[in-house]
Amino acid sequence: MAFKRDKKEEEDGGGNIFLNLEKTSVLQEARTFNETPVNPRKCTIILSKILYLINQGEQLGTTEATETFFAMTKLFQSRDVILRRMVYLGIKELSSLAEDVIIVTSSLTKDMTGKEDLYRAAAIRALCSITDGSMLQAIERYMKQAIVDRNAAVSSAALVSSLHMTRIAGDVVKRWVNEAQEALISDNVMVQYHALGVLYHIRKSDRLAVTKLVTKLTRSPLKSPFAVCLLIRIVCKLLEEEGDVALSESPLFDFVEKCLRHKSETVIYEAAHAVVNLRRTTPRELAPAVSVLQLFCSSPKPALRFAAVRTLNKVAMSHPAAVTACNLDLENLISDSNRSIATLAITTLLKTGAESSVDRLMKQISTFVSEISDEFKVVVVQAIRALCLKFPRKHGVLMNFLSAMLRDEGGLEYKASIADTIISIIEENPDAKETGLAHLCEFIEDCEHTSLAVRILHLLGKEGPRTKQPSRYIRFIYNRVILESAVVRCAAVAAMAQFGASCPDLLPNILVLLARCQMDCDDETRDRATFYYHILSGDQPQFIYHYIVDHLQVSIPSLERALTQYVANPTPEQFDISTVPVSAPEPTNVPEKGHGTVDIANPVAVQPETPAKAAESYAVKLASIPELAPLPGSLFRSSDPVQLTESETEYVVKCIKHCFSDHLILQFNILNTLSDTLLESIGVTLEEPEGYEILKEVACPKLSCGETGSVYVLLKFPEDLSLSVSTFGATLKFVVKDCDPTTGEPDTDEGYHDTYMLEDLDVLLSDQVVRVMKGNWGAAWEQAEGESFFELEDTYVLTSVTSLEQAIQNIVVFLGMQPAERTDRLPQGKSAHTLLLAGMFRGGHDVLVRAKLALAEGVTMQITVRAPSQEIAELITSALG
Amino acid sequence: MLSLINRILDWFKSLLWKEEMELTLVGLQCSGKTTFVNVIASNQFSEDMIPTVGFNMRKITKGNVTIKVWDIGGQPRFRSMWERYCRGVNAIVYMVDAADNEKIEASRNELHQLVDKPALAGIPILVLGNKRDLPNALDVKELIDRMDLVAIQDREICCYSISCKQKDNIDITLQWLIAHSKANSQK
Repeated sequence: MAFKRDKKEEEDGGGNIFLNLEKTSVLQEARTFNETPVNPRKCTIILSKILYLINQGEQLGTTEATETFFAMTKLFQSRDVILRRMVYLGIKELSSLAEDVIIVTSSLTKDMTGKEDLYRAAAIRALCSITDGSMLQAIERYMKQAIVDRNAAVSSAALVSSLHMTRIAGDVVKRWVNEAQEALISDNVMVQYHALGVLYHIRKSDRLAVTKLVTKLTRSPLKSPFAVCLLIRIVCKLLEEEGDVALSESPLFDFVEKCLRHKSETVIYEAAHAVVNLRRTTPRELAPAVSVLQLFCSSPKPALRFAAVRTLNKVAMSHPAAVTACNLDLENLISDSNRSIATLAITTLLKTGAESSVDRLMKQISTFVSEISDEFKVVVVQAIRALCLKFPRKHGVLMNFLSAMLRDEGGLEYKASIADTIISIIEENPDAKETGLAHLCEFIEDCEHTSLAVRILHLLGKEGPRTKQPSRYIRFIYNRVILESAVVRCAAVAAMAQFGASCPDLLPNILVLLARCQMDCDDETRDRATFYYHILSGDQPQFIYHYIVDHLQVSIPSLERALTQYVANPTPEQFDISTVPVSAPEPTNVPEKGHGTVDIANPVAVQPETPAKAAESYAVKLASIPELAPLPGSLFRSSDPVQLTESETEYVVKCIKHCFSDHLILQFNILNTLSDTLLESIGVTLEEPEGYEILKEVACPKLSCGETGSVYVLLKFPEDLSLSVSTFGATLKFVVKDCDPTTGEPDTDEGYHDTYMLEDLDVLLSDQVVRVMKGNWGAAWEQAEGESFFELEDTYVLTSVTSLEQAIQNIVVFLGMQPAERTDRLPQGKSAHTLLLAGMFRGGHDVLVRAKLALAEGVTMQITVRAPSQEIAELITSALG
Repeated sequence: MLSLINRILDWFKSLLWKEEMELTLVGLQCSGKTTFVNVIASNQFSEDMIPTVGFNMRKITKGNVTIKVWDIGGQPRFRSMWERYCRGVNAIVYMVDAADNEKIEASRNELHQLVDKPALAGIPILVLGNKRDLPNALDVKELIDRMDLVAIQDREICCYSISCKQKDNIDITLQWLIAHSKANSQK
């Protein structure tokens, strides 16, 4: 009967007696610690509860923690071993939360030097967690003794604790180097490993000492495989720092290579992993490492197989040829019962395999793709993506496979990665566009993820109208309006409007559909439908262009700030959107690099900070400088920092050019690297070129060593636009005071004036232009013609460039404009190309450029610029000359 | 024969009347607290002591009384924590270096501050003037005077002049302590 009840309890509680703990009641219970005599069993359980709470992320206030801590110290009167060790754990957890924790120092030193071995190691760890830099001296003697203690656990604990202590008192720990040396010859594997760790850490900053240590240890073999692994890592670091000497000539590399024949598998793997990851590895050095990994592939231990195949997977990115040798072994691993191994094997094969084997491999993946977890499915998807880029002709097979995967069950991340892949294939490969869009259409028919559906609808709106048969997509889109949630319906309405705007023959049908959408029960959907209906039914092509085809270009964070400000300070004037800075589209090549490396640990590429956000933070910073107020309008564009000095000089100066519609603010960031000088009243003298006018200068009052300060110069752009592209001579001027390098206090009040020549600063055309993404460049071009833009045409021969790619790159950089319709990608084997660019000149003037390039001797370019004023057009054509 | 019976009787008594007491030992640094614990525990005196960082917990058995001693460090940084360990003990032993004239005043201030804590009201205090073997050490009367012990009226207070080095008056100190153990103080 009792047994039965026990069983039932087990099921009820889920096995966790700590599940429903409450902080206050547990801390109340902790008062039991003050009672005498101590009840060890009871106190142990209460301590467990406290530890559990802390580890679950419960926050303890300082008073609470201190009360608990001092109550806990009363438990030192009990001689119960289990309770004492729980107290050590408690001390470690509370050491950072409670005050006056050093109160237990004496008691812990007694335990650490006492006879009870069960106490000693744990007491050392607890002691080091409560010791601060000032107290370390007091326990130094005991630490030194403990490091060389005969008991391995004690020695290890002392070594690891010293390693932790280096963070708070590196100098003191440095004095323990002799003891650590002695521990290094210990027979215990762990002690040796930890001793090497401490020794390396102490000498880390001294390259010569590290080299000495390594040379000594590589000659006399270490017993502990862990220590050897660590040594391999240290050696690799040295090798990477060594510079461009061939690996085969380095004695250090010999050691790594020797480790490939070590008797411990851990060491062999570490060595192979090291060789593979060295930056300078050539196929010659790689071969033995790969063959070791190949051997591991057929090991009976799953951990080894996994490690090997995972490493091979990585090598396949950098040295595909070397991995081909293992293809046979990898093929065998595809049927491995461990699905993680199988997935890695197959994705490795996909990376190294030939075009001919793709079909077979895809068939094999599909047999088990339903059995692996989402994370590994993402790995597979990324491998397929890489494959599509490599073999564009195989898109049919791959696309079918992806769409099959889309239909399967899966989480958002997995589905999103498939959709991403399909989208990127569509963008890369025009042949795949129609099938890809068809698959996506099918997917949104039954898609539970709103965010994905919205994304795909947007894509359909953008790409659909330009396919051969736009009408086939309308049905899919309109189905969304009938069946989905409000958010998706909105997106669908917007997508339909795109079709209406771009395909005149479909317009009547679209209008009917939009008219129906005006009955929608959701406000936003109805508003959008009404808006689009009226724009499309009115006979105003420029409205259609401005409000449907061309989307909003402003930077969203800036718009948000501007609107908040507008709402906060009510004015009778209307909000002027043209004052909001335009945001440059994110560079498209960044994410692709991220996807090139498939990393299991981190499958989602980290997004870099968007330029819009950076510009926004500049705007906020400039606005916060009282001397510059009021700013001349809103910030239009900030350039990347330009170096005006060599990077290793006394003063490192960088310049950021902030462009406003008629003004320019130059921000000079100055770093003082001299430890014995203090700079005061720092300014920058500019030789102002013709036309520019300096309005204001904001000097930097004071800079001590290692500090960065900023000097601002406000200039007015010349009336004559052709003068705005020009060069400034710049000189840094300041008062120098010698000072004490340690305190930073100046020795004297008297300083002397000094100057420092900076490199010339160029203000370029690209500083005055923001990249603008035009979804439909052709329409904008036509539109520009209608709106009485000035057109200017010129022909140049670019003699300095030899290929079309180079020419495209240079033009994009010079003009600082955004290539539209993917014309920055050059189809292979063409000798002529048309580059389409769009941008916005300061002051909010749209600029469109068409550059027809032909490869002859050098590159011949015919450039056509459409801009709202003659001057701007001239400036742009002349920029390339 | 009679003595044997007496000893057996004593042993039985000690089984039945096993007494326990808890006391806290405080006082300025270098007054000889840890030394005192060593002397009453194992009758050993050592010149070479290191300052107590934090506290030491010792259990000493004298006859049928087990004394738990919390020996707290006397450096300024620990003085704020004395109170925590004095709460609820049977007696507070306050150690004074009777030969260190300069620190007597600081010692008096610390003692009176401790006594004023409401949480410690009524706990008996034993003030020990240590190091009487040294030449110009204060005797009991001078100590009572200098420490202003007369001002403490709300509790039992006692003062002895001792020497840990020569083991002077350690026995009467122990007698006082045992007399204040739990069982005895409840009577």
